[in-house]
Amino acid sequence: MITIRAEYQARFREITKVPEETLQLEQPLVSELARIITEKYGPRMLALLIDPETNDLNNKGTLFLDSKGQRIYIDDTLEDGEVITFMVGIAGG
Amino acid sequence: MEAKLLRVDLTTGEIRTEILPHSLFERWVGGSGINDWILWEHFQRHDIMCDPRGPDNIFIFGIGPVAGTGSGIGVKGRITFKSPEYGHFADSAGGGKFPYMVRFTGYDHIAVTGKAPKPVYLHICNDEVTICDASHLWGKNTSETHTLLREELGDYPSEAHTLTIGPAGENLVGMSGVVSDGWRIYARGGGGCVMGSKNLKAIVVQGNKGVKIARPQDLLRWADGFRQKIDANEAGYGFKRRGTLGAVEMYQKIGGNFWRNNQGVLFCGDEVRSDNWVKKFHKYSEVCSSDCFVACDGRYKIEGHESPQANRYVGESFRHPEYLTTASGAGALDLRDWADVAHWGKITNELGLDNQDLSCSIGFITELAQRELISPKDIEELFGRPLKLEWGNMEVIEEIVEGVAYQKNLFGQLFRDGAYYGALNFSQRKGENFMKYAIYGKGGASFTEELRAYPTWMNNMAVASRGADHLKGIGLIEKFQRKDLSKAYFGRPEAADLKTPLLKGACTHVIENQVALINSYGVCIFHWLLDVLGYAPESYYGEAYAAVTGIDKTKEERMRDGERICNLEKAFNSLIGMRREHDTICERWMYEPCPEGPWKGRVAADTFDTVLDEYYEWRGWDQQTGLQTRSKLEELGLEDVAEVLAREKALIEDGGKRSVQVSIPTAGIEKMAK
Repeated sequence: MITIRAEYQARFREITKVPEETLQLEQPLVSELARIITEKYGPRMLALLIDPETNDLNNKGTLFLDSKGQRIYIDDTLEDGEVITFMVGIAGG
Repeated sequence: MEAKLLRVDLTTGEIRTEILPHSLFERWVGGSGINDWILWEHFQRHDIMCDPRGPDNIFIFGIGPVAGTGSGIGVKGRITFKSPEYGHFADSAGGGKFPYMVRFTGYDHIAVTGKAPKPVYLHICNDEVTICDASHLWGKNTSETHTLLREELGDYPSEAHTLTIGPAGENLVGMSGVVSDGWRIYARGGGGCVMGSKNLKAIVVQGNKGVKIARPQDLLRWADGFRQKIDANEAGYGFKRRGTLGAVEMYQKIGGNFWRNNQGVLFCGDEVRSDNWVKKFHKYSEVCSSDCFVACDGRYKIEGHESPQANRYVGESFRHPEYLTTASGAGALDLRDWADVAHWGKITNELGLDNQDLSCSIGFITELAQRELISPKDIEELFGRPLKLEWGNMEVIEEIVEGVAYQKNLFGQLFRDGAYYGALNFSQRKGENFMKYAIYGKGGASFTEELRAYPTWMNNMAVASRGADHLKGIGLIEKFQRKDLSKAYFGRPEAADLKTPLLKGACTHVIENQVALINSYGVCIFHWLLDVLGYAPESYYGEAYAAVTGIDKTKEERMRDGERICNLEKAFNSLIGMRREHDTICERWMYEPCPEGPWKGRVAADTFDTVLDEYYEWRGWDQQTGLQTRSKLEELGLEDVAEVLAREKALIEDGGKRSVQVSIPTAGIEKMAK
């Protein structure tokens, strides 16, 4: 069992209605984190988080980073105390 | 596919129409590609070394074939000219309703040359084109001018849509833009100054003609599919409300913001680094054009209770600030209240000023004051009175902005062409080198994002044909760490890996070509950024273009089209003498370590040359000089351009056609890994 903190920005926060939360994972895996979040927040989160064509985390228009600033992927492992930030990727203007 | 070009000579008053033949679209696609060709041809007949504020410069407006067709990809018009600010090629884009209304008059491109003897505006009402007196408009800001023209011209055959300059353009300020419908600025490069130098206050269009579609059923089918993909894109829902403001929070997390003239990379005000814009200020969502399935635009109206500074602007209503308006106001100048940031966006639009170059000019002089490198006497001399230069003081900033727009004081005059030339002028005047505090890239153009951690973006800033800017080669494979796209384009993941310089120059090459296509189709870049089908405008946007024009090409051929356009812009700059040494960035970005954030300690110098070499290699250009090669130009069907460059000794003769051999660089990896 590990504990991670999830931070939510923009559209993610509109769905979760909280800016961050602590989650406990039985398996130290990104796939486990994705399962917990999508079960908790329903189909809109599922559509935002998971690419149905690849079953991986959705790359398109999003950015999910660990505390080292690296993008995470569905097969990655997580360490206890990790902070994952869920962002909508946009630039320009 | 055919289109009409309207040519107007303001010196003689001659107005004529030319048909742009199908072959031109086969070669230059449309929009910015055809603008570039009109510019190139113009300067085959006029001295390319001319004063860009003089009558020999040309001001071109163009719109691509897909715009206004109902495709739903948004609309972007493009202006193209020789920059009075940087002295080289320049273009700038803007959305809204003006661009497609140009198409509805029956014209796709407008080219204005010469200089009117007195202020005029150009009125295009379907086939009727008139040069009208604008003396009653001279001195008005862009919103006032738009409103007056609308009242004056009525609403038949359509409402009037305008492209106007503000006082900054009238006063020949280099960093002045042009503004459509009073609130959407084509900011970069000094288009407002070019219009002002021609005594052209505005272009006004009213039209009700249709747009010809080669295969309308194909386009309808394509548009319906695109709409469904946009609607199913959950990330897009956040973008609809925030527009590019969604980048503020994200950049705060990844260390990509720009603070106090880039002395920092994180915004410091709680208010401006939060999502409070959406919660407190955003009042109305709007569609910028009628041909957009996203609708990321919005309007604010300040009621006075939203924030401490809001009571200064009770009742003020304008377009919401985009990310770079925020980056320049909240970042470069450290405004910490959203109401001030919104007001900053409004006044720069109304006066017609580019907030990137302007904020870095103000930031430069404010940093000198912060460091006590200038005295109160210096400040009084610059501004004509004692002024307390301090970060985040909107009253002082507003006074400085007006001083620049109206050329009221020495600061405005020294910095009229932005931070680089302003810093040069000021250093020469003081007899002391202050250039290390000026933020700029190619051509002296400024940009308000932290870039040292991002080699592709840094490369964009050094090579962009219009001067430092992100919208020519926006390096999103790198910034969003898209290994899937890196593998798709290069067969390997390194373009998405921030710890290596590998494939970063290659990435600029590919995305510059793609962006050239998007700009030539005449559509909005943000639909692309939402990425409903992967960053591949050469395939799915290309299908919409084919349905509109009847021009069917493979995606490889479309990428060649984009590459051809990039090479024409490069050739323009080569003709005026730009070489490898001009593909550079400022001292702060190059040598000062990034001061904070996740990429603290990074400097561009560790990888800059490696990435630039790789960029030239992928471009097929000469690494030593930065010049184009005959083989590359011939490969792109640009033999005529090669001949011009050869005559001016601006071409590398490399013995004819060759196959492009690209290798992966290795230098600089060790430094970045640290």
